[in-house]
Amino acid sequence: MRIAFVGKGGAGKSTIVGTFARLLARTGRDVVAVDSDPMPGLSFALGLPVIERPIPDDAVVEKAEGTEGPRYRLRPGLDATAALQAYGALGADGVRLLSFGKTRGDWGDIIRGQHAWSQILDELPHDRFDLIGDLPGGTRQPMTGWSKYADVIAIVVEPTAKSFATARRLSSLRDSKWAYHHVVAVANRISEPADTVTVAQRSGLRVVGAMPFDEGVASADRLGMAPLDGAPDGPFVAAVAALVEYCVARFDGSLKSQNPIKEAVA
Amino acid sequence: MKIAVVGKGGSGKTTTSGVLARTLARQGHSVVALDCDTNPNLGISLGVGDDETERLATMRQTLDEEGIGHAPSWDELIERFGTDGPDGVRLAVVSRIQNPEPG
Repeated sequence: MRIAFVGKGGAGKSTIVGTFARLLARTGRDVVAVDSDPMPGLSFALGLPVIERPIPDDAVVEKAEGTEGPRYRLRPGLDATAALQAYGALGADGVRLLSFGKTRGDWGDIIRGQHAWSQILDELPHDRFDLIGDLPGGTRQPMTGWSKYADVIAIVVEPTAKSFATARRLSSLRDSKWAYHHVVAVANRISEPADTVTVAQRSGLRVVGAMPFDEGVASADRLGMAPLDGAPDGPFVAAVAALVEYCVARFDGSLKSQNPIKEAVA
Repeated sequence: MKIAVVGKGGSGKTTTSGVLARTLARQGHSVVALDCDTNPNLGISLGVGDDETERLATMRQTLDEEGIGHAPSWDELIERFGTDGPDGVRLAVVSRIQNPEPG
């Protein structure tokens, strides 16, 4: 399965993605946590220190003058699976973290890494790896194609007016940009069952998971610990486990074949 | 004075900005609250309301569409794109995602 989590900044995307990826990996699957957020965050949830592990510049070669295609391609002999194994950081429960690198000043610094990242995601065998993506907060990056590897778009929504407004803006991409994706909502930090109903009503989306506010997760976060390490028996982890189960039942297998836009692009 | 509020997503930038703007306005300052986030929610925190926040025309898209010949001055921009919020704070929004072209 290939799911990209989007939503307002601070809605809980990284925490959910890291926990989701690890629980999925515990069922024996090959899981790649895909990080396109230039801010750190996902590392914590995967039990990794905040690391700078960008894909190195020499992973790609520049295309020859006058030829078609992207400016940079993985260097000859390096396929997507080998590149993942070489440049993906190995996190807790065997999850591979694939990140195109954090901003180190000039945006130009990470262009090669971005090309490599993009090509790896395009070419990783669909039937072997699950991709669970953590997108930057807000609405800007989802617009620029950073979610194109995904079959399912999950919008993380807290029960707040600003989070609802963000979800509605993202959801407005459903009929055009994301027309061939499943677009669903995941409610986060809910305090009572009525919050989940409100999230559904105010976002206009089907809610497929509801993570309760969990004091244990908040405490773990203060210490820089992942929920699975700091609050493994709490209600948050239980709710993410239920979401994993739901997604395996509902979204597993190749949805890509149903996606004419992607096929046209490929 | 000109204050820019920055920080991690969800850390409280918008909420802080809204309270800061209204508090300064109540002290008699003339305040412009400028929402520079591409996911603009400052209107909600100022108390303008969800619907009005969503309806506000954004400078970037409107000016791009018009293909304006000269750069407007700051006071023209605030006059044209601003809306009056609680405590007399003038709110203006720079940019917001638009529903893109199909395909």
